[in-house]
Amino acid sequence: MEPMITLRGLGKTYSGNHTPSVDSVDLEVQLGEFLCLLGPSGCGKSTTLRMIAGLEHPSTGQIVVGGTVFDDVAGGQCVPAERRSLGLVFQNYALWPHLNVKENVGFAPRVQKLSKAERATLVDQALQTLAISELAERYPGELSGGQQQRVAIARTLAARPQVMLLDEPLSNLDARLRLEMRAEFQRLHRQTGNTMVFVTHDQFEAMTLATRIVVMDQGRIQQVGTPSEIYDSPANRFVAEFMGSPPMNIIELGHNQAADTWMKSRDSAATSLGIRPEDLEITTTPTPGKFSLPVTVSALLPTGGSWIIELTDGQQRYFATSQQRPALTEGQQVQAVAQKLHLFDASGQRRTNVEAVAA
Amino acid sequence: MALLTPQRERSTPATEEKNSLGYRTKIILRHPATLLGVLLLLVFGYLIVAPVISLLLGAVQVGFGDEAKAGAGAGSLTGYYLDRVFSSPVSDIIFYTPLLNTLWISLCSMVIALALGVPVAWLLVRTDLPARRWFSSALIVPYMLPAWTFALAWTTIFRNRSNAGQQGWMETLGWEPPNWLAYGPVPIIVIFSLHFTPFVILLVTNALKNLPGQLDEAARICGASSQQRWWRITLPLLRPALLSAATLMFAKAIGEFGVAYVLGLPAGFQVLSTTLHQSISTQQSGIAAVIAAVMVGLGGISLLVDLRFLREAKRFTTLNGKATLTKTQPLARWRTPALVMVGGLFTISVLIPLGTLVLSTIMRVPGDFSLQNFTADYWIGHDLPTVGFSQGVLVSAATWRAMWNTLWMVGLAALCTGLLGLLVGYVVVRSPLRQLGTALRVITFMPYLVPGLAFAVAYLSLFAVPRGPIPALYGTATILILIMIADEMPFASRAGVSAMMQLGLESEEAAQSLGAKFSYRLRTVVLPMVRSSLASATLLPFVSGVQGLSLVIILATPGTELMTTLSMTLIDFGYTHAANAVVVLICAIALLGTWATQKLFRSNLADSLG
Ligand SMILES: Nc1ncnc2c1ncn2[C@@H]1O[C@H](COP(=O)(O)OP(=O)(O)O)[C@@H](O)[C@H]1O
Ligand SMILES: [Mg+2]
Repeated sequence: MEPMITLRGLGKTYSGNHTPSVDSVDLEVQLGEFLCLLGPSGCGKSTTLRMIAGLEHPSTGQIVVGGTVFDDVAGGQCVPAERRSLGLVFQNYALWPHLNVKENVGFAPRVQKLSKAERATLVDQALQTLAISELAERYPGELSGGQQQRVAIARTLAARPQVMLLDEPLSNLDARLRLEMRAEFQRLHRQTGNTMVFVTHDQFEAMTLATRIVVMDQGRIQQVGTPSEIYDSPANRFVAEFMGSPPMNIIELGHNQAADTWMKSRDSAATSLGIRPEDLEITTTPTPGKFSLPVTVSALLPTGGSWIIELTDGQQRYFATSQQRPALTEGQQVQAVAQKLHLFDASGQRRTNVEAVAA
Repeated sequence: MALLTPQRERSTPATEEKNSLGYRTKIILRHPATLLGVLLLLVFGYLIVAPVISLLLGAVQVGFGDEAKAGAGAGSLTGYYLDRVFSSPVSDIIFYTPLLNTLWISLCSMVIALALGVPVAWLLVRTDLPARRWFSSALIVPYMLPAWTFALAWTTIFRNRSNAGQQGWMETLGWEPPNWLAYGPVPIIVIFSLHFTPFVILLVTNALKNLPGQLDEAARICGASSQQRWWRITLPLLRPALLSAATLMFAKAIGEFGVAYVLGLPAGFQVLSTTLHQSISTQQSGIAAVIAAVMVGLGGISLLVDLRFLREAKRFTTLNGKATLTKTQPLARWRTPALVMVGGLFTISVLIPLGTLVLSTIMRVPGDFSLQNFTADYWIGHDLPTVGFSQGVLVSAATWRAMWNTLWMVGLAALCTGLLGLLVGYVVVRSPLRQLGTALRVITFMPYLVPGLAFAVAYLSLFAVPRGPIPALYGTATILILIMIADEMPFASRAGVSAMMQLGLESEEAAQSLGAKFSYRLRTVVLPMVRSSLASATLLPFVSGVQGLSLVIILATPGTELMTTLSMTLIDFGYTHAANAVVVLICAIALLGTWATQKLFRSNLADSLG
């Protein structure tokens, strides 16, 4: 099936900047997908999204949505934002303060010159979907942050866009509300079947919501995959270190005796290895056939339901996690045994098809 | 993807470059701000650039009637006027002395205004001065009124026998003021200072309010005394505001005409604006053009200085957090002296001048305070013993005609100004072609540098005769309205830009991504959201247009008499009572307008002065 959105060689350099904010991005988004653009702040997520929406214009490349070429720099083609029928939800909601909720939500149907009855139905439906029917007469200034967020989404829904684009829609909400709205987005996606492109810098948001995640850094796509692919087999060190908290433990080869010994004769191309904190098991004796690090427990940090164990081997720190209270004391000498290893080569790419872990 | 790729032709880098240029051009051309910007450029090219250029050309082109003197045909290039102004026997009289006078008077009044304004602003913002809220509006009054109002009040009190006309109050009371007190530089400096002090107070109060309170508190925690905090923290942070105020005052002082006209001329004291007026009224337009060009140059220098400081100010604003309420500092035993000082400033700059003007319109003999000397005749009487203006101001048809003319012409001009300002703001903020916005900003700022008189001369020479499809405009209301629009554009376009910046892009982008076309989103989203800025961008030009004198004095004809020109006509005829009464009316309109702006739109005057 033809993808809903196709980006080809998409790039953007803002005037006055030397480096591109978005750099040769190739991407396909399938119909009905919930795609998350994930990356640290400033990596070009918003720029990508705004280019799809037609609010920024690419410096190179092509954007095709639903079979229509929206932008083609080489071909000199451009469809203006108002004719793209894509719904964009802004980070700060961008509700119009002089219009009440009903008028805000009814804006697009009015622009589309629908009949009065059709407009009323669309508005009611959108308000009901977001469970804010009782706010219809209020003005944005009289709404809480979460309510404004719902209005902003309802306003986009009422336009019946072919794709919903959302730019960090949850970042302005407090922690509890964010969790609530996350569930709401999942429901919304299931209910409407809309294609959604969701921008966020929060890995947990992406992991819970997305059918696929696109990890970006410095304007480039680092990896595209399902949440478990991204987490379990990160394509490179950036993705490996960006995903997960506490972050993956990285050991540079050539400085660590235990690791060097272990790696000798296993994979000569690897220059560093990584172990996720939950893959480190703490034991008192080395497990034969597995990579073990002799370490000292330096701190035990409870985080509510689980524990973070801080370890040190005199050169660097390691983190391990445990679901039960660890039977350890600070200063205790233990072995940290890796259940799973990731290997990276000199350019930071992950070594695949190298079975270096279990013997 | 595989389906689509083959459709794309492989292109060489060169054609790709060309095509991407096509793409960019397409985007620029299709953006609504581009067309709008080009239209605005045409409008302002006609209203601002053409007059300014013709004015400057006048300095190096032989004018009609000067062919013999310059020894060249009319219209050809000449250095004659430059020579005459800069290096001829009369240079001293017509140029160098007035230039020096202008410079030192501007500098003196600038320094005095700063010295008065900064402490008062501090008292108003940072201390427990009694009635400080009331004072912070009351002390602004002089800025709302035309400066020559104060000149009139001054002569009403201090006029002496060296000049014809009614006697002054002091004279009636038995003391003849010396010439240096009655006319010339001293009163001019006093009045400039009083007129500019509110401006300093406004800017500094605003800057002080925007300083995050934590800075002061942080210094306090470090153990800095209140004096140290003032000199080390607050004052350096205020520096951009102070320098900006100083340069703006300087530019204003150069162009100010009415005060020097009323107070300088009787003593033969000339500044640039009065020599300019003289050369215009003696038909020496080439000389006038040279002098005007020098004034434009001086204004330009102060603008450059201001721009530099503005850049510096931007560096400071990055650290500008949310303005927080700072605890006020108790004045303790200084409370009474401070109150006396602020009260004294209010008395001198507001009570006495306005009181004098009002009283002078209800006293038969100036300065005689006996009860039977008071009369309402000059306001509502009939058959007064004067030749030309024999009815009270409020019953004379001439007043009402001038009032009506003022209200509708200035009102219309102000409305156009406000709208144009917003459109300029739109182009500046939205245009993908940054140069378009920059060009508009620069052009709309030009009138600020051109003294009103010189601008009027340019309009006269350009629009007095029919040109192309445009008929001769002299004597029409149109020429007055056009010049008023042009003259208020510097303020209006700044206000428009800041309104659009504040609005941000997202409100409009949201409408755009929901499918709204340009005109629709302008109507339903942009204009409604900036309506309060539009209102203040209209009312403030209205207030300043009502009191404008130098701009209209040579363009208004008996058919298009305005309040200000009427009062000057009355002064020229020696009808002081009536002239002052008209001025009182102008002040009333100006104050009412300002008050309405602040009340209706809760807009802060200082913000819009920028
Ligand atoms: N209007 C702009 N002008 C110049 N540079 C910009 C502009 N918008 C964004 N950038 C730059 O482009 C990069 C990517 O920005 P953005 O797409 O907003 O990142 P993200 O949304 O991932 O945080 C940043 O380095 C930012 O500084
Ligand atoms: Mg962003």
